[in-house]
Formats: sequence, structure tokens, C-alpha cells
Amino acid sequence: MIETDGLVHRYGEATALDGVSLTIDDGEFVVIAGANGSGKTTLVRHWNGLLEPDAGAVRVNGTRVDADLVAARTAVGMVFQEPRDGFVAPTVGEDVAFGPENLGLSREEIEARVTDALAAVNLDGRTAARIDALSGGERERVAIAAALAMRPDHLVLDEPFTGLDAPARESVLDRLRALDASGTSVVVVTHDLRDVLAPADRLVVLADGSIVVDDTPANAIERLDGLPVERPC
Amino acid sequence: MSTDTEGVALVADEAVANVVRAALFAALTGVLSYVSFQLPVSPVPYTLQVLGVFLAGVFLGPTWGFASLALYVVAGAVGAPVYAYGASGVGQLFSPWGGYLWSYPFAAGLLGYVAHGRDGLTPTGEIPLWRLAAGLGGATVVIYAFGTVGYAVFAGVGLGAAVLAAAVPFVPGEILKGVVAALAARSDRLRAA
Amino acid sequence: MLSHEPGDTLGHRLDPRTKLAVQAVVAAVALAHATPRWLLALTVVCLLALRGCGLSVPAALAEYRGVLPFLLVAPLLGALRLGPPWVDPAAAIDPLLSVYRTLLLLALAAAYVHTTPPRDSRAAVAWLLPGTVGRYCALGVSLVFRFLPLLQSDLRRLRAASWVRLGDERRVDRRVAHLAIGALARAFRRADALALALRARCLSWNPTPPALAFEWRDYAVLCVAAGIVAAAALSLTTR
Repeated sequence: MIETDGLVHRYGEATALDGVSLTIDDGEFVVIAGANGSGKTTLVRHWNGLLEPDAGAVRVNGTRVDADLVAARTAVGMVFQEPRDGFVAPTVGEDVAFGPENLGLSREEIEARVTDALAAVNLDGRTAARIDALSGGERERVAIAAALAMRPDHLVLDEPFTGLDAPARESVLDRLRALDASGTSVVVVTHDLRDVLAPADRLVVLADGSIVVDDTPANAIERLDGLPVERPC
Repeated sequence: MSTDTEGVALVADEAVANVVRAALFAALTGVLSYVSFQLPVSPVPYTLQVLGVFLAGVFLGPTWGFASLALYVVAGAVGAPVYAYGASGVGQLFSPWGGYLWSYPFAAGLLGYVAHGRDGLTPTGEIPLWRLAAGLGGATVVIYAFGTVGYAVFAGVGLGAAVLAAAVPFVPGEILKGVVAALAARSDRLRAA
Repeated sequence: MLSHEPGDTLGHRLDPRTKLAVQAVVAAVALAHATPRWLLALTVVCLLALRGCGLSVPAALAEYRGVLPFLLVAPLLGALRLGPPWVDPAAAIDPLLSVYRTLLLLALAAAYVHTTPPRDSRAAVAWLLPGTVGRYCALGVSLVFRFLPLLQSDLRRLRAASWVRLGDERRVDRRVAHLAIGALARAFRRADALALALRARCLSWNPTPPALAFEWRDYAVLCVAAGIVAAAALSLTTR
């Protein structure tokens, strides 16, 4: 469970988050929407301690993020926008193994985790493939596998569909549904609501650093008028 | 599902950024080492390698500037194509131009120290011009002192001959690179980044 | 440019630490004994090493063609005199031996690069350097390998773009500065994105050590290297 309580974040003079409170339950599929600059990326980067709050606090599985960063970063897996800049190693296997290696796990355990993570994104046996030779959709799935190798309880994806064509979006979405079904909670941050509403349990909309909508997709969709998000077609 | 997290010594957030930037400037020095250009005043082709050293000192400061160029030397020794003209290997460190390679960490460290002082980084746009000039001058002296002595030792010639072969033809190029580093340090575009 | 080629030669199967040790030994001995006799002995070692790595002498030296002409400068300078008889061939001998020594070391370095993937180099660095320094260097080396192709393509693009845009800007320092600032601004953005990803993935000072293991062939090669060191040390003390 991720509990966000009265979170405030400022970049210099500008307030990016203005007292946001939000709880993500285990196993939920949540979509966080909002225009550029609405604060959605800032919000999720507090969940694994990549940013420090100006006020308020975040707890992951009951522990404050700043009290145990390793716990927060293993419990909340993060897939960044533009995964191209976030890869550490030249090949799929080495990159997915990077997180577990930093946890100091045994070689057998690392190998098991890499195998499982790649299986979860339908990239079984592709350990030796070079990342820069992959398609955009495959690269996105490698980034997801790299996060899964930490065995997170929650997976957060920032704009995972940017630049992907329809089949690639579908293959990523299909894997997210499967992960959600296996008990991992999935949070998708996006400004583009096409496709992602069907599997979602909840839709949260941010505007100017505050939550303006938090409801089931069916109810929320009625209230999107005048809000800066791309409606589903 | 949770992992045992005790005993994991996280690299502090600020250090992560510094390690990445150190590697970045080491790689940048490597890329610049096969950009070469010619000046009408001297017959030798210049590479921009030393510009990487200057930039590391200016943007990373003494500690991480030194660390960055140390990384450059180690990476080149174990096979990254970062030495002049894209070469690499341990043998380069003991070649006639090996003295230059040994000098780079110290030159970057000295430049960083003169430009920023011991503690904390001054925003690059606010470094006084005299500090930049003194640091760049000092770094150049370090590079050519190491380079010339290295040439004398590793090529088996006298110091006088080494000065003629390893320093004199290259000095005009250094002045140009120093100007470029100073311009970069005062660039508004980079201050924001 | 010479780079790692996958293969199955003895050189490919040796542990990277063994290969680094051999290079260090040859470098140390060649620096201590730049005499024709010793350099001849080391030439045999280098030829065997190249053979064991499936590399020919011309291929090994081809990597360094950009710098080889500079090597010839040293003997020429050594032989010049500032007065009659102007040229003293005997004085060129020391520089010639030094140049020859450099060739040997460069050839060995080429053999290492040819047979060792970056991953193994990184692992060797983590093993050879102690503690935090080793971790820093190993991580840094892998990041350098990662940044190189990105920066190369950035620079190529920028160069093409700015040559067009700055066609009428004659001053070479402005041109180079424009190029450097553009490359830096881009590179900083990449570095920040990567730093964020590393933090999210728990970058630590004490990761699982890389898997490296000496085998019988490594011990054999190391024994030969130790023999060379012993012989060189002995001849130093009895000289």
C-alpha cells in the first residue's frame, strides 16, 4: 500500500504539488491523468524517494519512505518516460540484472529473477539481445522487466505509451493487465486516456498540483469536461 | 515478496549524480579525442581531448574533475576507445605520449580547485574570469610538464628535445581550447542545465 | 578501429585479470631493461601472445596508425645536434629502443582489446581495485562504454547542423564553442535521466561481485609471467 498524506512539493517559487493525499491499495490498477505540468510525475517520484517533500509524507507498506529508501525503491518499481536514457547496460540480460545485483543477491537468485522478469513481459530467452537494436515496444517491456526484477509490490509507469504504435501499445497493456491479475498494483501516469481506462479500477486526475477527480473510470469520465486530458475515442 | 534490504549501502543521491557526470565527462573527453582540426600556425593536427579535461575541471570541480579523468585513464587502459584517435590499452600509458594521459586527472583537479575553491561548486557563470584564466593556465602547465617529462622518459630523448617534440607545436591549440572552455563556462544555456 | 571481437582463442578464454597482469609485467620489464637482448625476449612473448589471441602483427598495429608517425619523431630528434657534426646516429639508439618498446606494449594492448568484452574489463577492475574505488571505477567504466556511442552520434548530428547554420561564422573558436555547448547541454540531460534511473534501481556500493574465476590456463600463464619477472629482477641485482 502506498499512502500519500498532505504532500507539498515546490520547485523554487512554483508549487508543483499542493497538499495531495492519495492511497494506492495492493492489487489496484490506477490511472493518473493530467496535463503537462499538472504535477503527476512529481507525485509518483515521491513514492520511491526520488524527491524530498516540502511538507507531508509518503508511507509504503506502512514505513515512511525517508526512513528506509531501499525498502521503498524495491517495493515501488518505477518505469520512466523515455526508457532509452535509463538503461545501464548494453544487453537485455545485464540491464535487467542490474537492480538485483545492487541488492547484493546471489548469482542464482539474480538469474532466477531475470528469467522470471523477462517471462512476465514475453521476452523469454532474449537476455543476449542488444537493447539499442530493439523496437520501441520491446524496449518499454525491457524497462518494465528491469523494474520487476526488484520484485516490487507496486509498478509505476510514467507515460509508457509515448511514441508506441497500436500493436506495441497493446502488447505493453496486455502485460500490465497480466501483472495486475497476479497481484501487483499498477499505476499508469499519462496525459492520453485511450486504451488504459478499460483495465483500470480508478482514474485520478490532477490539475495544478491538486487532485480534481478520483473515481471509477465510468463515473470519472462524466466529469472530464473542461479538464486538460485527451478523452478516449 | 519483500527483499531483505539490510546491508545494502545505497550510493547517496548526490554521489549518484556526480558519478554519472564524471563518467559523462570521461566519455566526452574520449569523443573529443577524435575530433581533430588544423590551425594555420602549426603543422600538427590538434585533437579536442584537452577540451574535455578543461570542461571536466570547470563543470565538476576539483574532486569529481579528478575522479572523472581518472576514470578516463582507467577506461582507456581496459579497452574503451577514448585515447587520441580512438585508441586504447595499457601500453598507451607507457608510450611517449603517456605523460599526457597521466597528467589529465591532476590538470582537471587543479583547474577545478582554482576555479571553485576547496568546498562547494560556484555556479559556472559566476566564476570570476581571472580564476578561469589562472586555472586554465595552470592546467595547461601541468599537462605539458607531465607530457614533456613523459616524452623524455618513454621516448628516451633529452628534456630539450622533448620540449621541441611534445610541447612547442601544441601550445597554439591549447589557447583556443582554453577560450572555448571559458565560453562554455559563461554560457547561459548551460547555467540553466 | 580495433574493438572486441567474439572468439574462441586462448586469449578469449583467459581471465581478464591474467591478461592485464601480463601487460603490466611486460611493461615493467621493458621499462626496466630497454636493452636489445631483453626487448628481443619480450618480442617473443608478444608474438606468442598475439598468436594466442588470433591477431596478426599488422592487424594489431593498424589500430595505432594515427599515432605511429609521431613515434618516428623521437629517434630523429635524438640524433640531431645543435652544432657540427649536426647528426649523431649513435644518439638515436636509445630513442629507437624506446620506440620499439612502445610498439611491443601497443601490440599487447591491442590483443587485450581484441579478446576482452567490456563486461569482463569492468569485472576485472572491480576485482583489482579495492573497495569503494574499485566499485566507482567499475561502474564508471561501464557508464563510459554506455555514453560513448550516444555522445558520438550527438556530436555527429551537431556538427552537421552547426556547420550549416554557422557557415558564415568564420571564427573557429566560436564554432567549436557552439559545438561544445550544444553537446554538453544534451549530455547533461542524458546524465540526469540516467542518474534518476540508477537511484530508482538502488545503486549501491556493495553489489554482488562479478563472476570471474581463474582456470588452469590462467595459472599457467601467470607462472610464465612470474618467471619473466623473476629473471628480470635477478638480472637487475647482478648487473
